[in-house]
Amino acid sequence: MKKILIVEDEEALCLLYKEELSQEGYDVMTVYDAEQALEVLNRERFDLIITDIRMPGRDGVELITQILGLRKDIPIIINTAYQSYKEDFMTWAADAYVVKSSSLQELKSKIKELLNQ
Amino acid sequence: MIDRYQFLVPDFQSKEPKELALLSIISQSFFQPFSIEDNLLVILTALTSGSGVGFNRAMLFRTSGDKLKGEVWLGPRSAEEAKTIWEVLSTPGIGYVEIIEHNRGLLTREAGSLSQIIKPLVYSLSQENLTIPAMSAARKEMLLVRNSRQEAFVDPKFLEIIGVDEFLCVPLFAQDEIMGVIILDNAYTRQTIEPKDVKLASLCGLMAGNYMYTTMLHNKMIEMERLAALGEMAIFITHQLRNPLTMIGGFTDQLLNSPNDKSKKRRNLEIIRKEIGRLEDVLYELVHFLKVDMKKPVPFDLRPEIQAVLQSSDIKIKSEGIEVLVDIEERLPKILGDPTYFGEAIRNLLNNALEATPQGGRVTVQSRWEDQNWVVVRIQDTGKGMLPAVKEKLFSPFFSTKDKGLGLGLLFVKRVMESCGGKIEVDSEAGQGTLFRLYFKSAEEGRSDG
Repeated sequence: MKKILIVEDEEALCLLYKEELSQEGYDVMTVYDAEQALEVLNRERFDLIITDIRMPGRDGVELITQILGLRKDIPIIINTAYQSYKEDFMTWAADAYVVKSSSLQELKSKIKELLNQ
Repeated sequence: MIDRYQFLVPDFQSKEPKELALLSIISQSFFQPFSIEDNLLVILTALTSGSGVGFNRAMLFRTSGDKLKGEVWLGPRSAEEAKTIWEVLSTPGIGYVEIIEHNRGLLTREAGSLSQIIKPLVYSLSQENLTIPAMSAARKEMLLVRNSRQEAFVDPKFLEIIGVDEFLCVPLFAQDEIMGVIILDNAYTRQTIEPKDVKLASLCGLMAGNYMYTTMLHNKMIEMERLAALGEMAIFITHQLRNPLTMIGGFTDQLLNSPNDKSKKRRNLEIIRKEIGRLEDVLYELVHFLKVDMKKPVPFDLRPEIQAVLQSSDIKIKSEGIEVLVDIEERLPKILGDPTYFGEAIRNLLNNALEATPQGGRVTVQSRWEDQNWVVVRIQDTGKGMLPAVKEKLFSPFFSTKDKGLGLGLLFVKRVMESCGGKIEVDSEAGQGTLFRLYFKSAEEGRSDG
């Protein structure tokens, strides 16, 4: 079973993603901030990371950079409400950039694509 | 020993050298909060007044895109009018202000005004066969035309209108940007345009060009700032709306896809309801911010307004576990402002203070009559304080250190303070808590007990 780590500070959204992706057959773990993510990543192996970015210039981006430095080999999907930073992140930080949407279809198909399923 | 001087006061009757008087008039007017039209009028006035350069008439064309358009033509309409006007203007005691006022009158007089005659004149600056006056602007060359009727380069329509043999074109430009052209003549005195006149006119042209360029840049900058603020607003609102929409959509789909899962039904609906509330909060904050529209400040007692905020349920809930001290001076005068906006401003600051303060901490609301005419309200917390970088951006729109909220609260407070003639100050250091001081104008004259 493929393991996915979700970094998302909205509690209800974590719940939604966990339920929806578990149903798709993934082993999902959710954490609320990048610090917790770093901690978990030091202990466990994941096949994919889905992470939010918060406002640029705030702690979120910095910590995400650390996650990226730690696990360059794991595919990363940035899942955020900000539409306009796609170019900024795609060049160095992520394998996919999915803008949050009321439908989870795009997110689900990107996961499949990156896990070669 | 230090001698203090006033900046040169513009005075058309000045005994100073003509050149100095001219420079003084123009540079002084750039310091005034006049509109660009008024300042250009000052330049044209300086060019046509006896103690300035002394041309009979001055014509201004301004660029708009790659077009050069006739705009203002200043001067008497006939030799008779010229005589009358010059007699009036040479009366002792007539000064700078009177002449400007007189010229403004000339320009606003609709029927028969010289300006009306040149307004239909429009030239393209990019065309190949340039004619005068556009040639002077496009090539940034001063052109003194001596025998206009024999000169093939002069636009016939223009020649017909100006109707003189001799005129001077002064291009207006700065940093490669063409701003316009001024055309000067001596239609009534028939005086020949001398090299010294050309020199002075060129000086005026340089100043006018630079002034117009600076004004254009300033306007562009304001426009860009507005657009940037609008862009930021769009980004933040999108962000604030997208999270709730993602959840509403996701949890609704779950219900639609598994209608028989009873355990999820209530939970999902509750989440959806809560997220709809968040969408409403965003709209509320936005509308609220856009709506600071204060009537004339009125005197009111701040004590009941502060009490009302402290008694409101949202503040009460947030205050749990935090000591809230209220210390309002007994003999406080009424302050000038709007009670409703005052309450909202206090609520905003209290909300921030309570959110920043950990359990067991303290928030103080204090009010004193200070500095004769000011009543100061202090809202202080023992919370986490702010880093200098945060403090710097505190009143910028859409800046927030909270995950929720548009970052408009403090800007709202600042706008409220400004609209009632007061001010807001902040002291804060990381780990040391934050202190906001609101200065309201007292509705009574200085305090009686000293």
